[in-house]
Amino acid sequence: MGSFGRFLLKRSLQGVVVILGVISVLFALRYVTPGSPVDFIAPLDASDATRRRIAESLGLNQPFYVQYGDYVVSLLQGEMGYSYRSRTAVAPRVFAKLPATLELAVAATVVAVILSIPLGVISATRRHTGPDYAATVFSFLGISTPNFWLGVMLVILFAVQFGVFPTSGRPVGLLDALGHLVVIAGPERGWALPLNVGPFLAAMQNWLLHVTLPAITLGTYFTALITRLTRSGMLDELGQGYVQAARAKGLPTTLVRYRHALRNTLIPVITVVGLQLGTLIGGAVITEAVFDWPGLGSLIIDAINNRDWPLIQGSLVVIGAGFVVVNVVVDALYVRLNPRVLE
Amino acid sequence: MRDLLRVEGLSTRFFTGEGQVNAVESVDFTVRRGEILGIVGESGSGKSVTALSLLDLVESPGEVTAGQLWLRDADLADEFPEAADGSFVDLRELPERVRRSLRGPTFSMIFQDPMSSFNPSLTVGEQIAEAVEVQRRANANPRSTRSRTEGYGLGSYVVDGLLPNRDYTGEESHDRAVELLERVGIPDPEKRVDEYPHEFSGGMLQRAMIAQALAGEPDLLVADEPTTALDVTIQAQILELLRDIQADREMSILLITHDLGVIARMCDRVAVMYAGQIVERGTLEDVFDDPVHPYTEGLIGSIPDLDDPAPRLQPIEGNVPSLLDDEMPRGCYFADRCPKAMAACLEPQAERSVGGKEHAARCVLVDSEYDERDALSEDHPEHDAVADGRGDDA
Repeated sequence: MGSFGRFLLKRSLQGVVVILGVISVLFALRYVTPGSPVDFIAPLDASDATRRRIAESLGLNQPFYVQYGDYVVSLLQGEMGYSYRSRTAVAPRVFAKLPATLELAVAATVVAVILSIPLGVISATRRHTGPDYAATVFSFLGISTPNFWLGVMLVILFAVQFGVFPTSGRPVGLLDALGHLVVIAGPERGWALPLNVGPFLAAMQNWLLHVTLPAITLGTYFTALITRLTRSGMLDELGQGYVQAARAKGLPTTLVRYRHALRNTLIPVITVVGLQLGTLIGGAVITEAVFDWPGLGSLIIDAINNRDWPLIQGSLVVIGAGFVVVNVVVDALYVRLNPRVLE
Repeated sequence: MRDLLRVEGLSTRFFTGEGQVNAVESVDFTVRRGEILGIVGESGSGKSVTALSLLDLVESPGEVTAGQLWLRDADLADEFPEAADGSFVDLRELPERVRRSLRGPTFSMIFQDPMSSFNPSLTVGEQIAEAVEVQRRANANPRSTRSRTEGYGLGSYVVDGLLPNRDYTGEESHDRAVELLERVGIPDPEKRVDEYPHEFSGGMLQRAMIAQALAGEPDLLVADEPTTALDVTIQAQILELLRDIQADREMSILLITHDLGVIARMCDRVAVMYAGQIVERGTLEDVFDDPVHPYTEGLIGSIPDLDDPAPRLQPIEGNVPSLLDDEMPRGCYFADRCPKAMAACLEPQAERSVGGKEHAARCVLVDSEYDERDALSEDHPEHDAVADGRGDDA
């Protein structure tokens, strides 16, 4: 195994340990949080015997280590228990909401990365010119605008006034849209070029229209942050000796900028993008609320209000796992850009 | 030997927030084919900026403000008759893309600190191969400057980053990088070519930088303090290597250093810089055996001499002036530190020829003897004026 493979294996194992830690902390939180789920389930005038029966049916009378052991075992089997409130299995509910959250987080990240890195580079290479000032003003505004306000403003402007985008909702998921393609060009029909792409394109258009405003809302702060980071990093790198050396050997400006300076600029940028993507997976609650986006955020808020512990735990474990996976991927990219890390 | 490059009246200024800095002021020198010309001076005397000006690498807020850089290049002279004088062409009159195309095949440069002059995230071989590749692409299609990149822009960069083994450089350039590493005496070049700069020692990396500079087969190699960052034993090896390559390829070298020992060992001719000006130039013998300018005398006096065990070295008192335009005296810039300063030194000094046609100095002592009655003594009001940088008012 190469040093890169060893590195990945080590990081993945560390990731598993982190996820176990997340599970344990979540489990411990239950015991320090006031309010028993029984209070929410039992009628106000319920007798002690009824309350005890409810607690027993939820397994709450068991010692905590038995509860913990049961929970970890069921997680390993892909089970997350049953919601205290609705008595339905947690796992399907969480995984039903997950795609919407991931779509929004990834869309916001893509928007941010596509806009911010070129903007930062332009800003750095044309320092103290119009584009640089414009980018600086934009990032200043972007960092200081609260996203619930921005979301509402975007809706008023682009959805209500101009009617370009829908105001809220997500009638079609990205996977549903892609599903059209698989049906048309699935293995059973051969992988021929699909002729009937109409439904796919219509679904994609629908999805894109609905995701645009939430993605901009969620991604603006992020775009501004990465623009500033790219600009200052790029300025720093362009002043390095190796840039002068690269110019001295006759390399054209594009190569000096992109192959040399940008490569090193991206090392810290990648780290921040990864961390931000992680927080976006768990932190889009407000944006989801503004746009009625059916993601994990709203599910968690409801679950917390109801002390619905299996649902809270299930959602947070999934978010934690997503965070860890993103970080392992980021580390892999990081190593690819910065070979000194492998030493 | 024929002249390769004639520099006339080169001035480079930096327009900073604190004012205008005259880093290089009216510098004249000539580089001949196959010689090693040394430029010596203290830190801040304008040596490096002179070198960067030749390669058009001075960056904002710096700017080459005056002078001509006459390069002998018959092809360019044909192509740009308006910038030509015989078979020489004035580089400052050429378009920027042409000047860039001269980096590599005409000029090449090595720097003081090899560690910071290599990109830490590309292999050494890749960086040398780049220097080969850029010339290969240019030769394949000399008319198009775009061919050097072949559309290598942001898109290719993204693909490079995501997919391994798709890169700007080809197999041919990689093989050439191995050859070049072998040429500069790096053992096991097939293996070292794929290593990163941090896996090299300083001396090995300086060799690799020389290999990189040789990639375009330059006519003039500018070596800016090539041994300053290295151990003494490694210094000798690097100088040896430079000499060897220079003799081998009949290349010219412009060697910039603050170390007179390096100059004495390597150079055919030498120019001494002080405060942005060349104060004395000539053959090695002229300058070392028969210095005219007191600054040159001072530099030579501050070298330890094993044969003449004088009890103490004689350093030059004071510091290099700031080079800020507002603070520069009207007369000789060295007058306030000069042990032989006279009243005449408060006037600007032109370069004067000394005896033979090679030797010249920017000093009144070329034509006259030092006379103590004219000396700018410590209590002389005008001397103070010079020392305070208010020579203009004196």
